[in-house]
Amino acid sequence: MENQTLTQNTTIGYVIGGGLEANLEVRLTVPPQEVQEGAFVVIDSNNWRFYGLVTDLRLTAIDEHYANQLNSQRFAPHLADYLNEQTLFTNLAVMPVLMKEKGPDLASPDYSAWRREHTEDPSPMPVKTIPNHHAAVKLADRADIADIFGEENNKEIFRVGSTREQDHPVCLNLDKFVQRSSGIFGTTGSGKSFLARMILAGLIHADHASTLIFDMHNEYGIDSTSSDTGDAVVGLKGKFSNKVRLVGLGAGTKFGNQQPDYTLEVSHSDITVEDVLQLTQILNLKETTATTLDKLESEFHESWFTRFMQMNVGTVVENEDGKTEPAPDSVAFWARQAGIHPGAAEALRSKLNRLFNRPYLTDAPASSGLNAIITSLQDKRHVVLSFGKYDNELDYLLVTNLITRKIRDTWERSTEDFHSGNGQEPRPLVVVVEEAHKLLNREMASQTIFSTIAREMRKYYVTLLIIDQRPSQIYDEVMSQLGTRISGSLGDENDINAVLSGLPGRGGLRGMLAKLQPKEEVLMLGWGVPMPIPIRSRRYDLQFWVDLLGNERRPQSTKEFNSFLGMDDDSD
Amino acid sequence: MSETQKSIPIGKLLRAENSNFVAGCRVRELDTPALGALVKVKLEDQSEIYGLITNILINDDSLVRQLVSGVSIPTEYTADNRYNRNLPVEIHVLTVGYAQNGSISHRLPPRPPLSLDELHLCNPDELCHFTSLNDQSYLRHILRLLDQPVEELLAAHLRQAKSAHESADDSAWYEQACQKMITLLRDDYPRLTTVLDVLTDLERE
Repeated sequence: MENQTLTQNTTIGYVIGGGLEANLEVRLTVPPQEVQEGAFVVIDSNNWRFYGLVTDLRLTAIDEHYANQLNSQRFAPHLADYLNEQTLFTNLAVMPVLMKEKGPDLASPDYSAWRREHTEDPSPMPVKTIPNHHAAVKLADRADIADIFGEENNKEIFRVGSTREQDHPVCLNLDKFVQRSSGIFGTTGSGKSFLARMILAGLIHADHASTLIFDMHNEYGIDSTSSDTGDAVVGLKGKFSNKVRLVGLGAGTKFGNQQPDYTLEVSHSDITVEDVLQLTQILNLKETTATTLDKLESEFHESWFTRFMQMNVGTVVENEDGKTEPAPDSVAFWARQAGIHPGAAEALRSKLNRLFNRPYLTDAPASSGLNAIITSLQDKRHVVLSFGKYDNELDYLLVTNLITRKIRDTWERSTEDFHSGNGQEPRPLVVVVEEAHKLLNREMASQTIFSTIAREMRKYYVTLLIIDQRPSQIYDEVMSQLGTRISGSLGDENDINAVLSGLPGRGGLRGMLAKLQPKEEVLMLGWGVPMPIPIRSRRYDLQFWVDLLGNERRPQSTKEFNSFLGMDDDSD
Repeated sequence: MSETQKSIPIGKLLRAENSNFVAGCRVRELDTPALGALVKVKLEDQSEIYGLITNILINDDSLVRQLVSGVSIPTEYTADNRYNRNLPVEIHVLTVGYAQNGSISHRLPPRPPLSLDELHLCNPDELCHFTSLNDQSYLRHILRLLDQPVEELLAAHLRQAKSAHESADDSAWYEQACQKMITLLRDDYPRLTTVLDVLTDLERE
């Protein structure tokens, strides 16, 4: 049977056994090549419709002897064909996930009575029972998938891809997606940054939440070129120039042809002891650091960073007795006065040199970029913070922590005001973090603000969108809190386990995740989607933008194309 | 029905029960019945009982035993014993269906035929008609047989029926019958593979 003959709701088999825990066993009545692991199936039984996922396909026989010999060699070809048809089978393991009461058949006399009792269409609920023996199993059609995942509305119900077998659209409810922290995972080249771009474009277009994107590798805001295909890749700023603020880290930062809307310079007074402590690992700070920093802060308050930076290391003066002693502007002098071990203070001063040298940390920034970011986000804008040339780990950790801490303070305050009746409901905010394992690994998770957001900030309207290729490196307590997980191909067993942490039915999903195509196939799962489903992800291309933004004529020339992409045309 | 298409009488009933019966015939009449052939018995009420020949038995008697133990048997003795003896050849028949009021069923008849009822060999038309009905469900009766070479019986019957259907331009019948056999016997691996071996041999002849 050819694929095309599998029309809507084609019956592919019937239930022969199984249960809720062990999955349903289904006898396949079509060739196994027409059903793939991960296929979304529906099973009608009495007045209920069950929705499930194929988690395994297994060859089986009425008697193993039939399978163990090559029947075509022993018997006449047509007899061997008939024998194989009747004695050799493929069984599917189907994980039932959801069920919905669909009521009696429309033509049935019982329908009107049922309808009177159920004035609203029942919605799908987690599966609590099982279909009958021999209930027909069908491939879900477009309407079934829309029933579960929603009908694309070019707003919050956003199409992220399509089913692998029949190309039916599969949508993600972006409003639900932003209610809890979520993650996009996949190895390098699995297309996770394209997927992230697409979802961010959807979020910005739907405009129900603000997004703050820490764009470590400068790939989300500005237009770029795909490293795989060499095709132009549109940045978010190019398509949403009014909604997106492109912020460059440090004065004078430029991104090719694109100027940032404003730059971010951080005032020394904005840096807290907490920010420095969060860099303990990367700056290799000692245990004594906290004491020294606390002392500095208690003595100099907001200006501790500037004052410490101004202190010299090793300068001495001669006293009245002709002996050398620390100069009054030295670290040792302050340490002695403050009752701190001078050696420890001097060591810390040296280590903090890496911070003192950052050009975007200034005593008196030209403008308060930090406040501008917060204001933009509150004003329903979206911010892409591009790190430009400052794309090393130290800059990333410092700046993301600093901004996020400020966000936490602001959103917590707004939420409390809102709950006490003194303000508007805060704008939901999604903080997008790349290379998340650097901020959320087991060692760092307790120190950075991000684990707090992942675990607790949901009630303050702030959630994370984690983009990472090594989910196993992320602290498992954070991973288990992630609502929606969208994962591309992952090679490492630990990464696969990490993505599935805290979810039911992991056994079946593990195989599905391990066997995803290296490109363009992803598995959506978790709280934010009604049921796990592997999909072929939507392409982030010209058609995507035409579909999303509409009313756009297909460009007819290179110039028009570049203009459509929001890029200056350099060809003339 | 043409003269050649008439059912051929091949014997008279000796004894019967619902599921099988035995007819007798003279040795000189023995060139017509064959293993696996479809036969029928017409009852007084015009109903008919159909069956398949499962065995043809030639019994001995004391005279044959004496002759066999003799040194040499004159040709006229042999001929006399074969054609003039009073002991009939027994034709064992497995009941596979019946016809009543013109409709054929593949179930067992309500009553067996009576002794001295006449046994007829079905002509090709009757064979085609009977074997095509009811999704060939009559084949299930053959599986009831114990201590008999069921595979050979099946092969013999299918060969005859196949030939009759093919003469009537119906080559699909044999394919359906093969599938039916597999359906009926698939839970019995040794038996089914033996049947398929026999059918494979038959097709390669």
